[in-house]
Amino acid sequence: MALNAVHRNIPESIDGYGDTSGRLFEGAFARQPEGRKHGAKLRSVLPGGQQKQLKGIKEAIAASGLKSGMTISFHHHLRNGDYVVNMVLDACAEMGIRDLTLFPTALFGVHKALITHIGSGVISRILGSVNGPIGVLVSEGGMVAPVVLRSHGGRPRAVMAGDVRIDVAFIAAPTADSGGNISGRFGKSACGSIGYAFTDAEYADCVVAITDNLQPYPISNVSIPGIFIDFIVQIDSIGDPAGIVSGTTRVTRDPLRLMIAKYASRLIESSPYFSDGFGFQTGAGGIPLAVTAHIKEGMKRRGIKASFGLGGITGYFVDLLKEGFVEKLLDVQSFDLDAVKSIASDARHIEISADWYANPWNLGSAVNALDAVILGATEVDRDFNVNVNTEADGALLHGIGGHQDTAAGASLTIIAQPLLRGRIPCVVDRVHTVTTPGEVVDALVTEFGVTINPRRQDLIDAFKEARYGDTVPFVPMDELVVRAKRMSGPMSPIRTTDRIVGVVEWRDGTVIDVIRQIERRLQS
Amino acid sequence: MSMNGSETGGRLLGTARAGTIESMDCLVTISGSNGGRRIEISGAGAARFKEAMELKINEVLDRLSAPDVKVSVQDNGALDIVLGARVEAAVARYLGGGRS
Repeated sequence: MALNAVHRNIPESIDGYGDTSGRLFEGAFARQPEGRKHGAKLRSVLPGGQQKQLKGIKEAIAASGLKSGMTISFHHHLRNGDYVVNMVLDACAEMGIRDLTLFPTALFGVHKALITHIGSGVISRILGSVNGPIGVLVSEGGMVAPVVLRSHGGRPRAVMAGDVRIDVAFIAAPTADSGGNISGRFGKSACGSIGYAFTDAEYADCVVAITDNLQPYPISNVSIPGIFIDFIVQIDSIGDPAGIVSGTTRVTRDPLRLMIAKYASRLIESSPYFSDGFGFQTGAGGIPLAVTAHIKEGMKRRGIKASFGLGGITGYFVDLLKEGFVEKLLDVQSFDLDAVKSIASDARHIEISADWYANPWNLGSAVNALDAVILGATEVDRDFNVNVNTEADGALLHGIGGHQDTAAGASLTIIAQPLLRGRIPCVVDRVHTVTTPGEVVDALVTEFGVTINPRRQDLIDAFKEARYGDTVPFVPMDELVVRAKRMSGPMSPIRTTDRIVGVVEWRDGTVIDVIRQIERRLQS
Repeated sequence: MSMNGSETGGRLLGTARAGTIESMDCLVTISGSNGGRRIEISGAGAARFKEAMELKINEVLDRLSAPDVKVSVQDNGALDIVLGARVEAAVARYLGGGRS
């Protein structure tokens, strides 16, 4: 066992993960790249060469050379409407392929069907986030190898650095042509950006695109060009549109959350970053959407414009673009119908890859240009360390998403969260799991006011200078912890076994924390 | 909310309830027990607040000098003050003192 820089005890070797010596988290920007990128197998198609289109998923699996023990990847832009992951794994099972490592950018509730394949040994390892029933299964010790969690930027980094080699990437493609050019913008299963799939297409030894909208060569508005695509399969439907995009994303109507959103936007407005040309990310949650609405009012009052909005893009951001409050949108995932329509029709709405979005080991990902980001948390501790992975009972139920990357990249990182969720406090002495270290978290905003990390005296000064008085209270962290404890009462400790079921990597590939098996989960 | 606690030969039968399963509330159900006081807790608070909740429930039952009952709590994040009030109301209904 050795302590890392956030005081977590990490074993020197983790079964199913490997040695951790030299891979302990040492600080947000401590580990720098060395050596060369690891690439895909060289391959070619001759003029007049073979057709890329194959009859079905099984034919594509056979043609890809996929064998037991290999690693397959998926992207999650079809979200809870996705049919492709389950179809591919069903086909693998029927073909007798076993012991696969699954490397998804994320899994959703719809993928609970994979539990059968985990139980039967078709899937032996998951490198990626787990939630819902699969998260419960993993938390209770239902998988032999630990799940490895990486951020949106940490994942492409791991591929380029050779930590993960993708044997076959399966890419759900809302539109494709016979040359293998694919786009997420059009078709009955349109999802907008397919930015998470770019790195997989470029670095996998074989790439299979699965589409339900095959068009004549060439399509326009290509997301990923056919130079990276080995095979194309046309099927009836790659997903359920109702699960792919939500109709509209809504601002919260909860007065408590609206107050938190107001406080958070006031904090941003008080900072030196809120000036003409700033860039920000707010995400799709109830509070962040309300913050976006407040920021718009703030921009109006100051007569300033933002240069870009980043991340998962919603209709709210699209409105800001149309109304001229934001110059560009950088979109790695389009959350709703308005965002999908916008990226298909507006050149200022730019599709970006996860690499471009968030990878710490390239020459400047978009998160580095962020002035402010609003994020959530399940827990924040006295040191401003944030947990987004495990719930109050210790169950691993959430991925990292872009949390680590945006927190590290942004000049002002704000966690906006009610102090209590039910009886469970979101501010604690020590978080159960460290996802993002306090060294890159600048402030916490709750219904009790604004709490600024003491290492950001500059922000504290700027906030006090804004003289909001009682309209936006300033609350020191110690006071917040006491208040949370008084309201929630004493908590019993989480009971875990020694067995590690999850490894949380910092975006640079070091181990920031491990997640241990819990007893049988009490709640559903 | 329902209550049909009735007295038969000095022994209480039936069940009584108080509360809801809204967020930050709990549903408390009280029924007869022939094997001493029994407490069952499920839901959101169970994982981290079981002991604190048992303490609170026992405190209220003692204060009301409640007979041996079975208390089952379906929790959705109730604070102690809410839990205590719900238990008190359920006991009152069980004993026939409350309205249904």
